[in-house]
Amino acid sequence: MPALDVEALVRDYARPIHAYLWRLLRDPSAAEDCLQDAFLQAAASAAKGERIHHPRAWLYAVATNAANSYGRRLARGREREQAMDSDLPDHASGVPEAAERRERLRRVDEAVRRLPAKQRAALVMRKYQELSYPEIGVALGCSAASARANVYQALRRLRTWLEEVDA
Amino acid sequence: MTSSKRTESLAAWEAWLGDRRPSEDPATLARDLDDLYAAGPGAQIWERARQSLERRLRERMPTPLSYARVARSPVGPLWVAVSEKGLVAVEYDRPEAAFRRDLERRLRRPAVRAEEPTAEARRQVLEYLSGRRRDFSLPVDLRHLTAFQRTVLQAAQAVPRGQVATYGQIARRIGRPRAARAVGQALGSNPVPIVIPCHRVLASDGRLGGYSGRGGLRTKEKLLRLEGAMI
Repeated sequence: MPALDVEALVRDYARPIHAYLWRLLRDPSAAEDCLQDAFLQAAASAAKGERIHHPRAWLYAVATNAANSYGRRLARGREREQAMDSDLPDHASGVPEAAERRERLRRVDEAVRRLPAKQRAALVMRKYQELSYPEIGVALGCSAASARANVYQALRRLRTWLEEVDA
Repeated sequence: MTSSKRTESLAAWEAWLGDRRPSEDPATLARDLDDLYAAGPGAQIWERARQSLERRLRERMPTPLSYARVARSPVGPLWVAVSEKGLVAVEYDRPEAAFRRDLERRLRRPAVRAEEPTAEARRQVLEYLSGRRRDFSLPVDLRHLTAFQRTVLQAAQAVPRGQVATYGQIARRIGRPRAARAVGQALGSNPVPIVIPCHRVLASDGRLGGYSGRGGLRTKEKLLRLEGAMI
């Protein structure tokens, strides 16, 4: 197992990790900050000569922690609401169906944000970052089975919440 | 992965979830999630993040150490490592991976194998060992040692070629007359043997004392003979 090579980590993983953070935080400057936090920590670990078994999953763990602590800072600051609505995809606005679609996506987005952090992270890693369950387990500090359960729980909750709204 | 494939796998999960027939169509949820998340950040957002990341890393990254091998010398192969401030390691032959790992841990910095930055150190060590150089003129970087270790090593460095001192004499010279044993330990952990001549420091009874380099006391004796100190 070679020592961490920060340049190689940046080359191979900075882009997917950035996409992951953007998906979790839905805010470009938050994703940018957390990306730096994650890779500065990787640089610090590399400087100490640490060996890491699964650099990719480990980076996801570091990034998830960065996003969580950012989320906690933000929750204190309460600046969250503004960033959200403007980020939603804009489907030919003006048309009534488009307004309906926007409203629907806003609700889905809100529901995803309400998920427990671990479930949201597991869902995004599985569905959009294409990590395996064992990797998600490493990233979240749990077993592969528990990672899988978190994804299912996330989907189950989303479905239940959205049903409630629809009803 | 295409979005239809995502939709399928989500439908499969939903099927696995089982329970009551949902009024919420799983394919709809999958499509909505894809609309929100699949595209990811745009190219411009990524480009800005990449540039600021690289800037931050450049500011923070420690300069790596450089090391290289002296393949043959009168005391066998050696590893030599330098920082931007000077020599940080001279080690007797051992596997490269182990040498590098210990070096990186000890100095808390990455190390890369590089011939050019280590060339002057290797040249002087080789000249010295083959009898073509009397003294070193190499900066030595001891920042990572304790103050006591540095003091002891500086005292050892002051012992001229061709002469020897005892652990007790070094202890007295640094004003710690009762610390002969600690002096021995500090010399034993000398990161730059040969260049800082810990081999010139002997036990008080005139015997060689210890030497932790490869070949142990034989190497110590060899270095002393080379310098014309023997004995």
